[in-house]
Amino acid sequence: MERWLKTLLPLAVLLLFALLMTSDWYWKQPRGPHNDVALHIERLRAAVLAEDWQQAEAAWQQLDAAWRYMIKRLQFSVERDEIRGLTLSLARLRGALQAADRNGALIELAAAEEHWQDLGR
Amino acid sequence: MNESLVVMVRGVIAFVTLLILTRVLGKQQIAQLDFFEYVLGITIGSIASSLTIDLSIKAFPQWVGLVTWIVAVIISQHVTIRWRVAAKYINGEPTIIIMDGKIMEKTMRSLRYTLTDLLEQLRQKDVFDLEQVAYAIVETSGQLSVLLKPDYQAVRRRDLNLVGPIERVNIELIFDGVLIEPNLRQAGVSSDWLRQQLQGRGIKDVSEVFLATIDANKQLYVDLYKDKIVTLIDVDDEPEKRVK
Repeated sequence: MERWLKTLLPLAVLLLFALLMTSDWYWKQPRGPHNDVALHIERLRAAVLAEDWQQAEAAWQQLDAAWRYMIKRLQFSVERDEIRGLTLSLARLRGALQAADRNGALIELAAAEEHWQDLGR
Repeated sequence: MNESLVVMVRGVIAFVTLLILTRVLGKQQIAQLDFFEYVLGITIGSIASSLTIDLSIKAFPQWVGLVTWIVAVIISQHVTIRWRVAAKYINGEPTIIIMDGKIMEKTMRSLRYTLTDLLEQLRQKDVFDLEQVAYAIVETSGQLSVLLKPDYQAVRRRDLNLVGPIERVNIELIFDGVLIEPNLRQAGVSSDWLRQQLQGRGIKDVSEVFLATIDANKQLYVDLYKDKIVTLIDVDDEPEKRVK
């Protein structure tokens, strides 16, 4: 093997690893409205503030689907605890929506938003 | 989150990173490592395992930690090669513990090196009688180098003015059933010559040979895949009790 290739190839591999592990900012970007977690959080907040529980339930479904999609993309570059934190936050949020608990839902929404923003930092 | 998949990917990253960076570290043998280098090795291994299975921390900071430690080792190696004072500080110095046949008790105490250690390491050097030892030196790796008194040193060929044959490392001609053409040229033989030699031993094809080497006197050593052993020797302590 050529000498330059022997040097360059390992460096390229190491660089690739570094990119893979720091690519969370890229994978966090939504590819469309269906997987835009931040957008779905906002829609859900609007529905909760309006106490439109049917709309809130639909928004939660979309948020949960968007989050499940994002987990697959982010799992290699973020902490497991952050992923679990947001997943649990969404579960508690659903409970609050089923109980039509406006305060509880808003608290969990804020927590979910914080988890989302913390991902990859 | 598919934890098994993430662990697998992280494992591959840690493995390849270690593979690439430890190639830069060189080929120092375990026995040559001093205590500091030994601890460094354990730490690097521990970080690599953490990078693989500790999913509660992002992969990148752990990878940076792993690379940092290995780069630190590489830097310390370069410093010790180029700067003798640093080498003495980082690696320590060899210490004489038997001088002119006398055991240096104070030096041994300062090294936390016991008499039992000394006797054990002497025995490993096939020295069972302290009377034979002129000098013994504890190397930075902890190994003991021993210089025997002249009366107990082995006679060498040059002491008897005997000229021995020139030794050369054996060259592999067939490895795992494959003929290695460049080695034929290096050994100064042709493939036809080799085939004739093999046919003389009842071997029809190169693929039957597991290993064939040639020495400086063009003597072939050949080992076949099918070993024709007439009497099998069993080295088991209790062969009769083995379950067949």
